[in-house]
Amino acid sequence: MANVSFVMPNFVPAIPEMFVLGMACAILILDLFFSDKDRVVTYLLSVATLVGAAILTIALSTDTRELTFNGSFVRDPMGDVLKVFIYVVTAFTFIYSRRYLEARGLFKGEYFVLGLFGVLGMMVMVSAHNMLTLYMGLELLSLSMYAMVAFQRDSLKATEAAMKYFILGALASGMLLYGMSLIYGMSGSLDLAEIAAYVALNNTNVVLMLGLVFAIVGLAFKLGAVPFHMWVPDVYHGAPTSVTLYIGTAPKIAAFAMVMRLLVEGLGDLHHQWQDMLIVLAVLSIALGNVIAIAQTNIKRMLAYSTISHVGFILLGILAGTENGYSSAMFYVVVYTLMSLGGFAMIIMLSRAGFEADKLDDFKGLNDRSPWLALMMLVLMFSMAGVPPTVGFYAKLSVLQAVVQVELVWLAVYAVVFSVIGAFYYLRVVKVMYFDKPDDTTPLEASMAERIVISANSLAMLALGIFPAVLMQLMVIR
Amino acid sequence: MEKVYLSIVLAPLIGSIIAGVFGKQVGRAGAHWATIIGVAISCFLSAIVFNQIVINDGETFNGAVYTWLVSDGIRFEVGFLIDELTASMMMVVTFVSLMVHIYTIGYMKDDPGYQRFFCYISLFTFSMLMLVMANNFMQLFFGWEAVGLVSYLLIGFWYKKETAIYANLKAFLVNRVGDFGFLLGIAAVLMYFNSVDYADVFAAAPDMANLTVQIIPGLDWNVMTVICILLFIGAMGKSAQVPLHVWLPDSMEGPTPISALIHAATMVTAGIFMVARMSPMYELSTTALSVVLVIGAITALFMGFLGLVQNDIKRVVAYSTLSQLGYMTVALGASAYAAGVFHLMTHAFFKALLFLAAGSVIIAMHHEQDIRKMGGLKKYMPITYWCMLIGSLALIGTPGFSGFFSKDAIIMAVGESETPGATFAYLCVLLGVFVTALYSFRMFFLVFHGKERMDHHTKEHLHESPGVVTLPLVLLAIPSVFVGAIAVGPWLFGDYFGNAIYVAEQNDVLARIGEGYTGVMGFILHGFVTPVFWLAAGGVFAAWYLYMKRPDLPGKIKAQFGGIHRMLDNAYGADDFNDKVFAAGSRKAGSFLWKFGDVKGIDGFIVNGTAFGVGKVASMIRHLQTGYLYHYAFSMIIGLLLLVAGILIYA
Amino acid sequence: MELFIFYAFAAVMIGSALAVITVRNPVIAVLFLVLTFFTSAAIWMLMEAEFLALTLILVYVGAVMVLFLFVVMMLDINISVLREGFVKNLYVGIPVALIIVAELITVVGVKNFGFEKFAAPVPHGPDYSNTKEIGRVLYTDYVYAFELAAVVLLVAIIAAIALTMRRRPDSKYQDPAKQVLVQRKDRIRMVRMAAEKKKSD
Repeated sequence: MANVSFVMPNFVPAIPEMFVLGMACAILILDLFFSDKDRVVTYLLSVATLVGAAILTIALSTDTRELTFNGSFVRDPMGDVLKVFIYVVTAFTFIYSRRYLEARGLFKGEYFVLGLFGVLGMMVMVSAHNMLTLYMGLELLSLSMYAMVAFQRDSLKATEAAMKYFILGALASGMLLYGMSLIYGMSGSLDLAEIAAYVALNNTNVVLMLGLVFAIVGLAFKLGAVPFHMWVPDVYHGAPTSVTLYIGTAPKIAAFAMVMRLLVEGLGDLHHQWQDMLIVLAVLSIALGNVIAIAQTNIKRMLAYSTISHVGFILLGILAGTENGYSSAMFYVVVYTLMSLGGFAMIIMLSRAGFEADKLDDFKGLNDRSPWLALMMLVLMFSMAGVPPTVGFYAKLSVLQAVVQVELVWLAVYAVVFSVIGAFYYLRVVKVMYFDKPDDTTPLEASMAERIVISANSLAMLALGIFPAVLMQLMVIR
Repeated sequence: MEKVYLSIVLAPLIGSIIAGVFGKQVGRAGAHWATIIGVAISCFLSAIVFNQIVINDGETFNGAVYTWLVSDGIRFEVGFLIDELTASMMMVVTFVSLMVHIYTIGYMKDDPGYQRFFCYISLFTFSMLMLVMANNFMQLFFGWEAVGLVSYLLIGFWYKKETAIYANLKAFLVNRVGDFGFLLGIAAVLMYFNSVDYADVFAAAPDMANLTVQIIPGLDWNVMTVICILLFIGAMGKSAQVPLHVWLPDSMEGPTPISALIHAATMVTAGIFMVARMSPMYELSTTALSVVLVIGAITALFMGFLGLVQNDIKRVVAYSTLSQLGYMTVALGASAYAAGVFHLMTHAFFKALLFLAAGSVIIAMHHEQDIRKMGGLKKYMPITYWCMLIGSLALIGTPGFSGFFSKDAIIMAVGESETPGATFAYLCVLLGVFVTALYSFRMFFLVFHGKERMDHHTKEHLHESPGVVTLPLVLLAIPSVFVGAIAVGPWLFGDYFGNAIYVAEQNDVLARIGEGYTGVMGFILHGFVTPVFWLAAGGVFAAWYLYMKRPDLPGKIKAQFGGIHRMLDNAYGADDFNDKVFAAGSRKAGSFLWKFGDVKGIDGFIVNGTAFGVGKVASMIRHLQTGYLYHYAFSMIIGLLLLVAGILIYA
Repeated sequence: MELFIFYAFAAVMIGSALAVITVRNPVIAVLFLVLTFFTSAAIWMLMEAEFLALTLILVYVGAVMVLFLFVVMMLDINISVLREGFVKNLYVGIPVALIIVAELITVVGVKNFGFEKFAAPVPHGPDYSNTKEIGRVLYTDYVYAFELAAVVLLVAIIAAIALTMRRRPDSKYQDPAKQVLVQRKDRIRMVRMAAEKKKSD
């Protein structure tokens, strides 16, 4: 028998992951003992878990890069920043969701437990340094999300959305896996560093490129880039708004991390090839997202299409392939997440038992009903449209700068033209809020916690627009 | 030190936010305490900075606090440049602002917009500090626009008053003209220097001195001249120089503390400050200096004339402000920047004093502003009387008072100057002295001496204003008397400004005057033998003779020279001209463009056409989203197919 | 000989895979899927991956597919609805499928995966244990991924239970605790009635 020696891996970098896993399991068991009226403890514990994870991540953060678990786990500054934003965004999501879930009888422990497992999946993706872990993290996240979308069992729309999401997701996963297997077949390794070493020597290998194409299809599906975007509007629309809030925000950060790990760290030397593909995806996403959003009357669908166009912008930053480009894309993805968090949250704030508030008409005359919330929504919409001095403007600017620096001026011009077209539908929301008379004058039920969080959320968009460097200096790639 | 600078700027901002956003919660007292404490902190820290930079001759600070963005290698920053010039301005701004804050408690006592008012004036202090402390053009522009905005808000503070709305619209429009020039100037700086940082620009300026540009083909213009004149157009708007002066008299529609703070002491001097700050650039262009000189001279004299026929107490002071701003501009044109800034400082004190004293009179008169309905107020309000007298004496340049030193220095500097147009300017400023004395004492005599012309009811209630009003008057009266004597030596003839102001060798008129300078007493004694003194004395005498001795004479003169009086009364018809030519003209052009360009062309074809087209496309593509799962999967497969095909063809 | 076995199993595998999507009866389709798994297990066996081949048969054929078969039989799927539009979409589907197959073959063909590129692996001796090897890497090198797989399964269980376990209000079931705790006043209501109804007019 071969002598097997086993060295204990260094567990320290993975402490936040282990903490989240342990807490998720603990909450799962504890939840069994709570009756519905004590369910709030589950909710509080879940938020506390995220806070704890954030503290651990920040405490363990260093400027260096650490590999552990035999090279399949990496902890680096970029990962730490992304993880912290994932916790923050998810904690906000939970806080926003509470009243919405309670009003619909969905305030169950499973929602939070699945949410936490999803967070674990995202963390694994962010820290993956091996195609296998990358894939496992992705599946962990996806599986949680499929279940969450279907969570409202008696809603036909939600069930249909979950079904579509599941089948298309499986298809995309299959393609990603096929791509990974081709890459593995050529390079003989799953480790991203070893793949990178192989690619550096064989950057014209056509099989690798085929693997790359399949991998990109999988990534594009997760991000929701055209033409792999079809699930986005249906799922965003069909899912309960609190779940839309979850899947529309933090997983984008994880998807960005996955792109960074696989394309940039693993296949960085194929930059030339994937740049062209990403250009195609970005061009289609920006155009289609912005144009179709105009025709929407449902605000959740509208935000879904706006997501697609924002994804186009994120891709612009990545495809530039420079340090500048990556950090501006990272900046964009974080900013986008915060903006759409606020946008979807606003729908939740206006909703109440039996009423979804997801139509454009439901925002009519919001200024008369609650001037403060209308102002917050205005800031969010301005930020999404990229109006200075909101941070949305700076995010767009930095991405475009990165693109111009690599001499793709036409792409920048194109993106600007379409964001001007896109500004129309954001401003339409503002117009509806301020210049139309409300159809519905029921007092808003939003709780104090929600109001405080949404104010912090929107005002951050303004503050970061004035002081973008505060956020920008966190966006270090490597 | 950086933290101190930051605190100076932020303290008023925080006060403003408290008063503005939480006005309801903190109440009236909370609002004035928050803002006054904020400004007091600023004032105190400014004094420390002043002590360190000016008195102890400390290092000039020039550094960025925050980089807003970097575009194409050009850094847009928030930064501070703290040198002698800045420190002096900070001192003046925060001190006057503090006085005005305190005064406001009394003046606005019964106003429903109490908190809003405190919010605005504190915000103004913040903006003005940002402006003077800037170390780059971008921040300068930010401060410039911010003070403009607050000024706009404050002129229209009583927004239910028709005239106030008209006045703030006018101020807004006229300043737009100036700001357009200013913005073009900054754009030109950015274009030629590739930086917005003062230090970079000033260092590179001498190399650009002979560069020319063809804006109109075939006509070579000196780049530096173009930049300087464009920037000066901005200054003309803000500092109300002819022909962009029309907004300032109307701005008196705002509450009096504002007239004192913004439209006399600080904001309107932003233009003067800016030109002094840009001295390394102006010194490179004689043409630009000449333009500055002539515009300033015209403003100084002709705006003074208008003061003679005003009957509204605040408008008299307003025209006097215009005329004094002209004096400062003249000093800049003559390369006597130090004298200009010196006059700026002394003027800030005595003009704020005059305005606040006028305000005190207005309070006592129950918001009656017509001087023909006043008279004999001396015995009712002694403190106001003496303060007003000190202010007026300082204004007309009585030897020994602060205004004397600065004004005399300017007149001498102009006399020495060889910049084209200096002779004309010299005549203007000399004659201006007489006019200044005449209108100042006309107002003074009509208000405080002679017959009591107010109605019975008002008379019964006449009494001195409360302590919060008179205290700032007294505190402002002190520097109005003494600051000139204390500062004249180092400011004008010493090395006070260090490297903050640059004057070319051949233009250095102050140095030439300084050769004959023999100390403060010598300067005062010399003051008695110049024509300036006799002109001022003549003015006072004329005022006394016409309005005290022979009150029937003015009426006769008015009848005799009806045409001239009408012309002055209409302010040379500038408003009518603007209304008929610019306003009506642009309305006509506007409606023409609206009918043919906008409605048919842009709206009909471009906007609606595009919107229609995009909408059409959107609703068409929307049908791609069929809802069928297999369509979605198919679209993914097609996407994959095309990408693979692409890579195969490419490889 | 080995080559012959490979081609025979490969041909059966492709044929049965095609049959899975073309046959009309879903029960037969599932059976074809079983055959596909079986043949691919045989091919793995040829590559000395005995452990995986056996696991495939045990887990997939033995457990998963049998479950599948039950489900398909119980659901009684209406085939005609499912197959509606199959022919209609074939005009688009077949060319697309052919193009993709052609594209894949050009890349994943002999040119890139032939013996010149990858030498055939050297067969191991009889005392070599594939199972042990897998176990070794699974619990050392890939322990992280392995643990994650466990978490994925946990989530799958939670999801399945959360989505299917419901207490339907209309379903009838006994709760012994409630039965025991029941009291007389919950069940019986004493009603006093007039002995005789008054005659109404």
